[in-house]
Amino acid sequence: MSYLTEGYTLRSWLTTHDHKRIALLYAVAITAFFFVGGAAATMMRLELATPAGDLVSADTYNKLFTIHGVIMVWFFLIPSIPSVLGNFLVPMMIGAKDMAFPRLNLASWYIYVIGGAFTLAALVAGGVDTGWTFYTPYSTMFANGHVVLVIAGVFVVGFSSILTGLNIIVTVHRLRAPGLTWFRLPLFIWANYATSLILILATPVLAMTLTLIALERLAGIGIFNPALGGDPLLFQHLFWFYSHPAVYIMVLPAMGVASEIIPCFARRPVFGYRFMAYAILGIASIGFLVWGHHMFVSGQSLYAGMVFSMLSFLVAIPSAIKVFNWTATLYKGSITFSAPMLYALGFVGLFTIGGLTGLYLASLALDVHLTDTYFVIAHFHYIMVGGSVMAYLGGIHFWWPKISGRMYPEMWGRAAALLLFFGFNLTFFPQYLLGYLGMPRRYHEYAPELQVLNLFSSAGAVVLAAGYLLPLGYLGWSLLYGKRASANPWEATGLEWQTSSPPPQHNFHETPRVERGPYGYDPVR
Amino acid sequence: MATIQFDSAEERRSASLLGMWLFLATEVLFFGPLFFGYLRGRLAVHEAFVSGSHHIHFWLGTANTALLLTSSLTMALAVERAKLGRGVRLMLSLTAALGTAFLCIKAYEYASELGEAASARGGEAMFYFLYFAMTGVHALHLAIGIGLVAWLWLTARRYGERYSMPVEVTGLYWHFVDIVWVFLYPMFYLLERYNA
Amino acid sequence: MRYVAVWAALLVLLAATAGSSYIPMGGWNAFANMAISSLKALLVALFFMQLRHEGALVRLAAVVALVWLALLFGLSWTDYSTRGASHAPWSARP
Repeated sequence: MSYLTEGYTLRSWLTTHDHKRIALLYAVAITAFFFVGGAAATMMRLELATPAGDLVSADTYNKLFTIHGVIMVWFFLIPSIPSVLGNFLVPMMIGAKDMAFPRLNLASWYIYVIGGAFTLAALVAGGVDTGWTFYTPYSTMFANGHVVLVIAGVFVVGFSSILTGLNIIVTVHRLRAPGLTWFRLPLFIWANYATSLILILATPVLAMTLTLIALERLAGIGIFNPALGGDPLLFQHLFWFYSHPAVYIMVLPAMGVASEIIPCFARRPVFGYRFMAYAILGIASIGFLVWGHHMFVSGQSLYAGMVFSMLSFLVAIPSAIKVFNWTATLYKGSITFSAPMLYALGFVGLFTIGGLTGLYLASLALDVHLTDTYFVIAHFHYIMVGGSVMAYLGGIHFWWPKISGRMYPEMWGRAAALLLFFGFNLTFFPQYLLGYLGMPRRYHEYAPELQVLNLFSSAGAVVLAAGYLLPLGYLGWSLLYGKRASANPWEATGLEWQTSSPPPQHNFHETPRVERGPYGYDPVR
Repeated sequence: MATIQFDSAEERRSASLLGMWLFLATEVLFFGPLFFGYLRGRLAVHEAFVSGSHHIHFWLGTANTALLLTSSLTMALAVERAKLGRGVRLMLSLTAALGTAFLCIKAYEYASELGEAASARGGEAMFYFLYFAMTGVHALHLAIGIGLVAWLWLTARRYGERYSMPVEVTGLYWHFVDIVWVFLYPMFYLLERYNA
Repeated sequence: MRYVAVWAALLVLLAATAGSSYIPMGGWNAFANMAISSLKALLVALFFMQLRHEGALVRLAAVVALVWLALLFGLSWTDYSTRGASHAPWSARP
């Protein structure tokens, strides 16, 4: 009996309290949203294949990038690793039978679905053109789209994030197996724990800030309207107080995934375990202190800009520690380039490029030139897509045998990983150059001399789209025809590999006891 | 069935209490933008806030504060009695009644202030916006609290020496809502009363 | 009985805060209001919410929330407190 065979009816899935089944419910839902957001991105890249605005109107283009941002940020990236892999793995990695609050866990999925319904309703009803950032005064006074409906969707889905974060924190505190002390925890747990802290401390600020936008839009008065003595920049402060840490909500769990995969396929204990754990907490905390770097040219005080610039540079320190430590883990390892490892290495490389270009944007003077150009687009896509999505797919492949009980086809896995790496760079590296040349974001037409680079980018998007469809195909195939997986096909350490694949309903037949730290890999195999 | 993840009732209780405290941490930051918006607005258009404050009912606000502080006492006593397993219903009834009285007075205040608020201009309009938004979000929280207390009343038989966690957790929430009001009261009702 | 004493103290503080608003103290009125409110909140948290009996973890949760709120206020204030001080060519004049 495994958790998959506990019940076959739709009802048994929709009323389950099992964290593993809830993880799969999330996986299905976020995959659907990923392809909706991806379709919007594809339309944008098609439009940008030619300098003239010929495929879609300016208005439609505005709606496309808004819906792409809203869906990818709140309905895919933020729940991706914490709600799917985190939900599945956190209890198993700490030797627990379930999350601390299973019913709350299921409720958070339903809340996600309700929030998604609001957003899709707004999309069907005609969309929104404010951009995912909802900047005032446009969103409160001028935009004609269904702003309130989209805000309602984001507000609701925020509570799903908060409940998942709360559940993970309490689970890690209260349900660790005997002997599993904090410094014996896998880094994936550290990463999801730190992410959950951000989720519960930042998300409520966004929820209230968006409520204030909706109220101001409906009532015609509010705290962001300068005519009443309000301040539009106040919205930006409050919005980025959430939305900058939100980047770390996306990338910290990705770091956790990479920290599991790299030691396993290098057959080496992770280098500098304690520094890795401290770096995770450091990134989570410093990430809250840097939001003003989104506002350097917004009219924010120059002195605040200096403070935020300096603090932004500080995030580079723990991030660099992590990159160096992953690299050092590889040193003298017996490396296997299996599909999860290719994704993880791709993550490290792309995250490094994304992180280093972030330093350009954290520099006050350079940012004046680069603000709102494609340089920014390239930078955050290297972090969010090159970083988070690569790691998410790496994690899905790495734990696929555990989740499904089947092996995925290895050659297809490697091919998809390489195709994605190539397609990603082809799409987004030209955007750095375009941004530096001065192409602004959020326009549906551009100067003709920028067409060559834009064509590279659009061609890359096609490769990327194919790369994302591939795993959907072969992972689906493997569910029916894949080779049966053993309990521990990768010879990995970690409690989740000590139980059968797929695991039984309550994860372990006997509560495991832990007597040593994680990553007890032997370099010689 | 739903509690297989815990080894003992005590582990379940401590997990639930921690969960509620974390939720309250979330609530603090949920109110955060409102408080910060108030602070910035008050420093930007101080005079308008003062004159707005003089238009709302000092005595009703003060009486409401006393009602809510008293409801916190009865809620604390409800938790104490739930652990003893007797007399919990009386305290829950008093708590819900005090909370309801608060909401009734608040509703009366809203009704009598609405006309003035609708005609307010400039900074005073922003004052009224914050007043309705902040006390409104607070009232919504209180209404949810009354609902939870009513549910505890209906299930009061279950609570005793060995199991009183739901009463404790609801109590934490109730006291938090009380604390929010403790700050809202001087922010809206007490601006330069000596000039009123 | 201890609860009743705390309640009485809360009502005394309520009287103090309401009364203080009739004494002209300028900026100190706001200070007095916030100081008394904080004291009331502390009493409710320590006694009614049993914070004084809770372990380090729960206390930490309570403190972290306030620290994060302070971050929101403090770092935003680096902007508001210096916005009029000097201007970049592109920044708004108040």
